[in-house]
Amino acid sequence: MNTSPTSRRRFLAGAGALGAVGAASLMSGCVASGSGGGSTAQSKGGTVSLQSNLSSPQAKKAMEDLVAAFDKRGGAKASLNTVASETFRTQLPTYLTSANPPDLLTWYPGSVANAYSDKNLLLDVDDIWTKPELSGYSDALKKLCTDDKGRKVFVPASYYWWGVFYKKSNFAKWDVQEPKTWDEFLALCRKLKTKGVAPIGLGAGADTAWVASAWFDYFDIRINGAQYHRDLLAGKHSFTDPQVHKVFDTWSEALPYFDPNGTALSFQDATTALLNNRTGMMLIGTFFADAAPKDQLGDLDFFRFPVIDPAMPLVEEGPTDGYFASAHTHHQAEVKELMRYLATAEAQEIYLKGSSGTSIPTNPTAKDSGTPLVKKGRAMIESAADVTQFFNRDSSDALQPTADTALTKFLAKPKEITSILSNWQRDAQKIWSQ
Amino acid sequence: MAVLTATDRDRAAGAAPGPVRGRRGRATRVPPVVLAFVLVPLLVEGFWVFWPALQGFWLSLTKWDGISPPQYVGLANYREMVHDSVFHTALLDTVLWLALFGGLSAILGLGAALLLQQERRGVGVYRAALFLPVVFSLTATALVWQAMYQPDGLVDKTMSALGLGGLTHPWLADQDTALYAVIVPALWRQIGYVMVLYLAGLKGIDPALYEAAKVDGATRWQQFRHITLPQLSSVNAVVLSVIIIDSLRSFDVVWALTRGGPYHSSELLSTYMYSTAFQSLRLGYGSALAVVIFVLAFGVIASYLVRAFKEAD
Repeated sequence: MNTSPTSRRRFLAGAGALGAVGAASLMSGCVASGSGGGSTAQSKGGTVSLQSNLSSPQAKKAMEDLVAAFDKRGGAKASLNTVASETFRTQLPTYLTSANPPDLLTWYPGSVANAYSDKNLLLDVDDIWTKPELSGYSDALKKLCTDDKGRKVFVPASYYWWGVFYKKSNFAKWDVQEPKTWDEFLALCRKLKTKGVAPIGLGAGADTAWVASAWFDYFDIRINGAQYHRDLLAGKHSFTDPQVHKVFDTWSEALPYFDPNGTALSFQDATTALLNNRTGMMLIGTFFADAAPKDQLGDLDFFRFPVIDPAMPLVEEGPTDGYFASAHTHHQAEVKELMRYLATAEAQEIYLKGSSGTSIPTNPTAKDSGTPLVKKGRAMIESAADVTQFFNRDSSDALQPTADTALTKFLAKPKEITSILSNWQRDAQKIWSQ
Repeated sequence: MAVLTATDRDRAAGAAPGPVRGRRGRATRVPPVVLAFVLVPLLVEGFWVFWPALQGFWLSLTKWDGISPPQYVGLANYREMVHDSVFHTALLDTVLWLALFGGLSAILGLGAALLLQQERRGVGVYRAALFLPVVFSLTATALVWQAMYQPDGLVDKTMSALGLGGLTHPWLADQDTALYAVIVPALWRQIGYVMVLYLAGLKGIDPALYEAAKVDGATRWQQFRHITLPQLSSVNAVVLSVIIIDSLRSFDVVWALTRGGPYHSSELLSTYMYSTAFQSLRLGYGSALAVVIFVLAFGVIASYLVRAFKEAD
């Protein structure tokens, strides 16, 4: 008699349970793949799959051109699979642990690749580094692509640089020059403020909070040096160290000159603000040029992040992009053939032609796009005493959110720096102890 | 969910007293097709929903980075929560979200339904207009709202035009306003949904009740208080479940607008779970957070249903 309302209540209870179970099951969707693999990697022939996170229209097209050129030259064939970069990032561990993985993946060398290599997930490509395509690469790149155990696991393709970008026409109008030292930089900021613009644009709002890490990186390598910086990011020092406090003390001197909307605008919008003369300059990587209209590119110039401690060697941030192969690949010979091709000057020039053209090829014989901006950037990186990658690349993507939280809070509440740093250390400790 | 209803009905029928028990012998002779209709979806559901969910519970007792095999740590993840200030913020924000998002969408949804229940010319246009946001993807909606909230965006420009220039604000980048700025687009969508549920409920009320009340001289408020509200009690149960589930799984709009920032000030349990699991790659702790979300949703709904059940008896 009474079954109808009862069953509806039961249905509701069931619906409630399922809705919540859904949340729980979201977590565990990938658990099954955790311990897969183990099958011996053997060459069986067939098409090599290249999984790419370069999903912006220009870069995607450039990758398609690149794969088409590889296929045209005979021998092994490749197929490109482009994945949205956020999906790629979260799924990368699953790709690499899968028993039937994508053969070759776009990613970063250094600390990030090393973490995967430690777990024996990356294909050892020592042999191709002796081949003509790669033997001429710089020692810095060789070191960057070698893991802790001395195996080469990465093939670099291009890098870009960070600098303080500004509009030449504006600097001429305001009658100011590029600063070399920290004091000159602060003087420049004071002068720009009198011109009615926010001297420093940031772009750490919306979903690009990580941009603020460039400031942290540069202060740390200028004040404490590259080795301290890498050790700090690896957990060998604490964020509560007096050296780190010094970083933020120096940063505080420049805080009054930051755009008050710095943490509200993404770097794309901050680029627009720079181009529309609302801000004077901006510390950013060359990828920002993708968001700039082509006719404005000629008016852009940059200067090296100012020297703070003259005793410190000049280190620059030069994030390198490239490829690593899964250790579980079923196409070892073919994937190595593709990696060798990707290291050639020809392949890197094809990619540069198709992409926005502000990155620099890693092959020393490959031609860059030849614009004055790129020439200046290449000279800066090639003359650098050491090259760091970027916060997340010198540590891990897992550590990046801890920096985003700490730095956004510092920008909003610089007086609370002591508690910010102890919280940062506590959050970072959880990541390092993983 | 449809599958569950089917099995539940089946079970309910099997357990019912009286004549059914007497026919137990015949009950075993259920046609194989019916059995297949019940068991096959149950298996599918079990494999794709219950099994991963159980794995989620197990994962919450481990430490796992997604690469190495998970490591059993007992209740360490839950102990960590007790001292995790970000978890406290997220829990508080979730409660606030439940109260504001849930409460306001129920009240405003009921209000809209009462306003729009009468069949008048053009009322369909208003109903459609209010329901329209439900059709849009929340992520796409969020992008539009993000542009509106930007410095010099539509919100700031409108305020300046109204002479409220002093109140313009980086809405999403200020810890004091971020959470509320995110609730607005979520509400904007939810009200239409709740309105439709209540409209259906209002349609089911016997007009004779109102006529009788009018004859007895009841005021509008008395009609609402003593006829409409009690008659809507069954719809309320649906609305409550929907609201609680939607509140606890609210993720897309928050993630798209603030990612739980600035510095965790708009963090919900759902966004904290996601960032812990898939950004920090602490999948064990993330699973423990998911379990907490599950317990909260299940607890709140179950306790309400138990009470409603008792009242019915």
